[in-house]
Amino acid sequence: MTASGLLEIQDLRVEFAGRRRHDAGVLAADGVSLRIDDAETLGLVGESGSGKSTIGNAVLGLVKPAAGRILFRGQDVTHATTRERRRLGQHIQVVFQDPYSSLNPSRTIGQTLGEQLRLVRGLDRRTTRIHVENVLRQVGMPADTMSRYPAEFSGGQRQRIAIARALVMEPDLVICDEPTSALDLSVQAQILNLLLDLQARLGLGYLFISHDIDVVRHMSHRVAVLLHGRVVEQGPAEGVTRHPDHEYTRTLVAAVPSVDVAAEAPPNGRAPHRNEQGEA
Amino acid sequence: MTAVASQDLAAPSSDEPPGGNSRPAVSRTPTWRRLLRRPLAVISLAYLVLLVLAAVFADVVAPYDPADLDLDHVLSGPSAGHLLGTDPLGRDVLSRLIHGGQVSLVNGGVAALTFVMVGVATGLVAGFFGGWTDRVFTWAVDVVIAIPGLIVLLVVLTVFGGNMTVAMAALGILSAPGFARVVRGVTLGVRQELYISAAKVSGLPTRHILLRHVLPRVTGPILVQASLFFGAALLVDAGLAYLGFGVQPPTPTWGGMIIEAASVISQQPWLLVPPGITLALATLSFALLGDAIRDTSAERTGRQSGNARRRSAARRAELPRPAGAPDPAALLSVRGLTVSLPTSGGTADVVADVDLDVRPGETVGLVGESGCGKSITASALLGLLPAGGEIRTGRVQLGDVDLTTAGKSLLRSVRGSRIALISQEPVASLDPVFTAGQQVDELVRRHHGGSRQAVRARTLELLTSVRLRDPESVARRYPHELSGGMAQRVAIAMALAGEPDLLVADEPTTALDVTVQAEILRLLQSIQAERGMAVLLITHDWGVVAQVCQRAYVMYAGHVVESAPVAAMIDQPLHPYSAGLLASMPGRGRPGHHLASIPGTVPAPADWPAGCHFAPRCALATEDCAAPVPLSEPAPGRLSRCVHHDRLIEGATA
Repeated sequence: MTASGLLEIQDLRVEFAGRRRHDAGVLAADGVSLRIDDAETLGLVGESGSGKSTIGNAVLGLVKPAAGRILFRGQDVTHATTRERRRLGQHIQVVFQDPYSSLNPSRTIGQTLGEQLRLVRGLDRRTTRIHVENVLRQVGMPADTMSRYPAEFSGGQRQRIAIARALVMEPDLVICDEPTSALDLSVQAQILNLLLDLQARLGLGYLFISHDIDVVRHMSHRVAVLLHGRVVEQGPAEGVTRHPDHEYTRTLVAAVPSVDVAAEAPPNGRAPHRNEQGEA
Repeated sequence: MTAVASQDLAAPSSDEPPGGNSRPAVSRTPTWRRLLRRPLAVISLAYLVLLVLAAVFADVVAPYDPADLDLDHVLSGPSAGHLLGTDPLGRDVLSRLIHGGQVSLVNGGVAALTFVMVGVATGLVAGFFGGWTDRVFTWAVDVVIAIPGLIVLLVVLTVFGGNMTVAMAALGILSAPGFARVVRGVTLGVRQELYISAAKVSGLPTRHILLRHVLPRVTGPILVQASLFFGAALLVDAGLAYLGFGVQPPTPTWGGMIIEAASVISQQPWLLVPPGITLALATLSFALLGDAIRDTSAERTGRQSGNARRRSAARRAELPRPAGAPDPAALLSVRGLTVSLPTSGGTADVVADVDLDVRPGETVGLVGESGCGKSITASALLGLLPAGGEIRTGRVQLGDVDLTTAGKSLLRSVRGSRIALISQEPVASLDPVFTAGQQVDELVRRHHGGSRQAVRARTLELLTSVRLRDPESVARRYPHELSGGMAQRVAIAMALAGEPDLLVADEPTTALDVTVQAEILRLLQSIQAERGMAVLLITHDWGVVAQVCQRAYVMYAGHVVESAPVAAMIDQPLHPYSAGLLASMPGRGRPGHHLASIPGTVPAPADWPAGCHFAPRCALATEDCAAPVPLSEPAPGRLSRCVHHDRLIEGATA
C-alpha cells in the first residue's frame, strides 16, 4: 500500500551477550536488510546458528535489536512499546516449529484462539466463537476442535491449529519459523499446501524461515541466504536456489542429496499462482 | 482486507480429513475428579472437611458448651455422657476439641494463605521477568532463609501482644522462600515455551499471560506445597500454644488442650489422646493429600501416548504363514518379524511380518515416516527393544546366528563385533562424563585388548579413519565440546572399533546441518568401500536413500510395503505409499503449486485396518484391499504389498 512495502528490515544487528560479563557477544544478525511486499513470500534459508530465527524474533519483538530499523508499512516498529506491540499483533503473527510446545497444554483450543480476540479486540463471547470457528474451518479443522485440548491432536493437526491462531487476528504478515521441520514428509506437504492456499486467499505476506532449501524454493518468491548472521545472497527463488552466485549458496545447494539427477526446472521461472487444483 | 470470511477452504481433497483422523479422545477428566479416584486422597480430604465443618458448626454440633463445668465428673474417661471424657474441670473433651478446631484451623489457614500468596507472587514474577527482578529475589530469599524463624516468631508474638494471626502470617512469610524458589523454577521452564512467545506476539497483557498461561502450569506444585505447609503450620500453632502463646484459657485450642492434658498426665493419660490424635491425623491428611495432588498432576502433564483401545488379537490371524527360509547369500536375513510393544491399554504389534535381507557390503535403506516401525525394527535386530517390547514371531539370522534365540552372552559378543549401531543424536549417544578418547578406548579394549598405549594408538587410528582433522585433540574432549558432526564421527569410530560386518545407522544425519550431512554420508560411503561393511540405513529422507543406498525397503504402519533397487523405485514406485511419499517432496513439486500429498496421517497401531494398512489413505483402494495383502513380485527383484500396483504404472503413463 505504501512505497516501503509490507515489511522492511534495514541494517538489522542483533547481539547476544556472552556468558560472562566481559565475554564478547555473539552477533546473531549483522547488517541484515530484507524486504517483503504484500502477498509475497521471502524465504530465509541457512544452517543452524546462521541467525535466521533471530531475524524473525526481532520482527516479532521477542529479541531487541542492537542497531538497524524494522519498518512495518513504512512505520518504524523497531522499539515498539507494549501498547504498540498489542496493535502490531493484529498485523504480524507467527507459526513456530514445534507444534508441541507452541500450544498451552492446559487450555482448550477455543481458549487459546479466542483470548486474543476477547482481550485485544474486546469482542464478546459469541462473536469470538464465530470468528474462531471460521478460522478453524479455514485450516481444515472441525468446529468441535474448540472444546478440546492440544494433547488430543497429532503434530500435523496441531500445526493447523497453530496456523489458525496466527490467522485469527487477520494479520498481513506471518512469520513462519520452520513450520514443517518437525513434521513427516506427507504431513509437511499438507501444511505447505495449506499455507499456499491461505496466501492466495488472504493475500498474506510470509517470512518463511527454514533450513530446507527445497521447502524454501517451493514456498518463496524470493530467497535470502544467511551465513553467520549475514545475508550472503538474495534474489528470486529459482535463481538463487538453482543458479547460485555465492560460493556458500553453491555449497549449500550441492549438499542437498537429490532424488532426481535431472531436475525438471519449470521453464517460466516462478509464477505465484496457486490453487489450480489439488491432485489425485 | 483479510476478513475471516465464512467461505470454506473446501479442505483440499489432498488434506487430512478433519475429524476422521483426530486421535481418540484422551482422558480429559479434570484433575480433581482423578484425585477423587485415589482412596487415600478421599479419606484425607473427608477427614479435613469433617474437621472444618465441625469447627464451623461447633455451636450446633458440640454436645456441651466448651466452658460448661461438670465438677461431678472430672477426669473421667470416655463414657456415654462424655464420649471422649472430661478434663480436670469436668469440661467435655469432645466439645472442646470441636471448638478448639476453630482457632487452630484459622491459624493454620492464615499461615498457609500468606505462604502461598508470598511464594507464588514472588516466584512467578522473578521467574517470568528475570533480570534484576530475579537478582533481587534471589538475594531476598537468601536473607530470609538465614533468619532464625522460631526466634522471629517469639519476637513477633511479644511485640504484638501474643497476636497469633500476626505470628502465623509471619510464619507464612518466613517459610515462603523455599516455595518461591520452586515456583520460580517451574516458571522459568514455562517461560521458554513457544506458546508464551505466541501470546506475547499477539499483544496479550502480561498480567493475562501470567495468570492464564503460567499460573495453571504451577498449580500442581502450589497445591502440594500449600497442603504440606498447612499441616506443618498446625503443628507450629499447637507448639506455640504449648509455650503459652496465643488464645488464652478458657477458650479451647488444640495446643492448649495438650498443655492441660500434660499437667495431669499421671492422673489421666487418656486426655492426651484426643487432641494428639486429632492433630496428628490432620497433619498426616494434609501430607497425604499433597502427595496425591502431586501424583495426579504428574499424570496430567505427562504426554499422553497412543490410545487405549487395543485389538491386536484381531490382527493375530492375519497372514498365518510360517516364517520363510532365510536368504543364504544374505549377511542379515529377517523373516516374518513381528514385534509387540506395551501401550497404555495392553500390548500392540508395531511391526508385523517383516522380511528383510542385507547382503555383505550392501547399503540398504529402510524408509518411512514416524510411527511406521522402522526404528523398532532396527532395535529388534540389535536386541535393544524398549522395556516390555517383545519379538513375537520371526527369525533374525545374522550369518550363522539366529539373534532371536541367541543367549545373552552370545548376543553380547555379536553386538559390536558383527553388528553395530549409530544413532540420530550423536552428542546424546556419548557418555557426558568421559572424553571421546576414553569411550573409544573402552570399546577397543573390549574387542582387541592390549596395553594402554596399544589401545590408545588404535583409538587414534580409528579417529583418523573417520577423517577427524585433529584426532588427538578430539580424543581429549568431552562430548559437549564436540559439534554434532564431530560427535557423529566419534560415534562412527566407536561403531568401527569392533570391525562389524553390518552397521545399523538410525537416521544418522537427521539432526545435522545439510553440509555436515553431506560430509558424514561421504564418510560412510568411503568407509564402506574400504572395509566392505554392509549398512542398514534408516531414514525418512529420500535424498539420502538415493545418494547412498542400492536397495530400499519402504515401511508403512508396521509392514514392509515395497522393496526394490533404489533407482527403479524412485523412477517407478510400485506401492501407492512410496509413490505418495515421493510425490510429496517439495523438491519435486512445481514451486508455488500444490504438492501431491497423502491425506491423513499414519494411524496408531491399534487403528490399523485388518487388510491393507494403507487402504484408508489410498486413492486406489477398492474392496479387494479389505483382506490382508501379501507381498507380490510384480517385477524381478521388486516386491510390493499392493493389489493395484499395475494401476500405478498406468497412472504414470497417463
